[in-house]
Amino acid sequence: MTVLWLVPLLVVGTYIIVVLEEWVTTGRFRPVAPVFGGISLLGRESLVPRLPDRVLFEAAPGLLLVAPVLALAVLPLAPGTIIANLATGALFLNAALAYVMVALFMAGWGANSVYGLVGGWRFLGQFVAYSMLIVMPITAVAMRAQSLATTTIVESQTSLWNVIAQPLGFILFWLAAMAVCFLPPFDLPIAPHELAGGIMGEYTGDRLAILRLARLVLILTLSASVTIFFLGGWLGPVLPPWIWTLVKTLLVAAAMLGTGRFVPRLRQEQLVAWGWQFGIPLALTNILWVGVTLLVVA
Amino acid sequence: MGQVLTVAFFGLVALGFGVTVFRTSSMVRSALSLLGAMAAIGVMFLAMEAEFLGVLQLMMMAGEMTIMAIFMVMYMMDPGGLGQMEMTHQKRLSKGVGLTGCLGAVALTLLVDWGPTVASAPPPTTQVHDLGIELMSRSMLVFETAGVTILVAMVAATVVAIARHRP
Repeated sequence: MTVLWLVPLLVVGTYIIVVLEEWVTTGRFRPVAPVFGGISLLGRESLVPRLPDRVLFEAAPGLLLVAPVLALAVLPLAPGTIIANLATGALFLNAALAYVMVALFMAGWGANSVYGLVGGWRFLGQFVAYSMLIVMPITAVAMRAQSLATTTIVESQTSLWNVIAQPLGFILFWLAAMAVCFLPPFDLPIAPHELAGGIMGEYTGDRLAILRLARLVLILTLSASVTIFFLGGWLGPVLPPWIWTLVKTLLVAAAMLGTGRFVPRLRQEQLVAWGWQFGIPLALTNILWVGVTLLVVA
Repeated sequence: MGQVLTVAFFGLVALGFGVTVFRTSSMVRSALSLLGAMAAIGVMFLAMEAEFLGVLQLMMMAGEMTIMAIFMVMYMMDPGGLGQMEMTHQKRLSKGVGLTGCLGAVALTLLVDWGPTVASAPPPTTQVHDLGIELMSRSMLVFETAGVTILVAMVAATVVAIARHRP
């Protein structure tokens, strides 16, 4: 039964994110626009480019939607309200998010167009830059909770949220989460001004609608994971737990969407170099810091 | 019964993808078919109640196989497979080696004494805990050696690649 409640919540969450995106990035608040936008996309012809790799071209939008939905399944909304409370929840989240990269790569290659191809390869490079910065901060979070289960991770933050206990991990995970969602300044695979849409460039009609929906669900999933791992999940006074999770998730999403407005897009080589030269050493420092604090406090 | 059927089904899926790896001429399709086979094996682990192994398999293979696709596209003359280029050679030798390897693997599964079957798998939380203790005690030397060796190889490869561009 719990699962049935989560489906409308997912739809509402995604809807709020699409409205938020326009509000934060263009300053226009148009709550009905997504409905018309969606209908117009679904009504349009869905073109297939010449000589595509048909299997990959068709499978990519679906996979991009399934991956974040699976990741969302291991994130708790409130105590006991979770689709799958896996003992390896935090690891499963990583596993599901890895397929985001596979989906984008498939979309880029499958369309048989230059810009799409460049976008797909770019995201693969981006994956090499961000993947360690997703895994290592989660490792530190799991160290504190002494568990990979996401519910135990939230409970471990009862005395102190992880954002204060391990601020370095929070910043790194935040940036990596933005890179997973390819939000500006990490929007290298779509890069509207230089790649003309990149991996999304050759998609039209209902296929494009699924791709866009998948990206919104992805933003929701990553915002929820920042909330669960670092901002205490459902913990908070007065209000019921599920409202806390939802409010924090949407605030994180708004902040992520807003950041891109003020930062120029990074170059591919800058992203990879910074990820490896600064990101990984800092993530290791974070793990060391958490290890030392755990030993000293214990 | 359901467990056996699930394992059997995904075993067949893995085999099917495995055949596709060699049947296709597109390097990307080939690499992604291998990913499909590996992911199916990951699901088999999950069905066999080895949760950690299953999830790890699903996670690692996604990155590895896609990165492998770059190298396959980079090194092959006709990476898209659209040029109808013949990409096989030494067919008789390959068939012989393949068949011998296959028969050897099957013989190994039949001849090895696998020990008594456990009545039920321990709960996932215990599995994760025990795996952690194992990695930090008995298997530590093995994993540390392998890890350091790979790291040295990575650093060495990078150094070699950089040195070539120096004037």
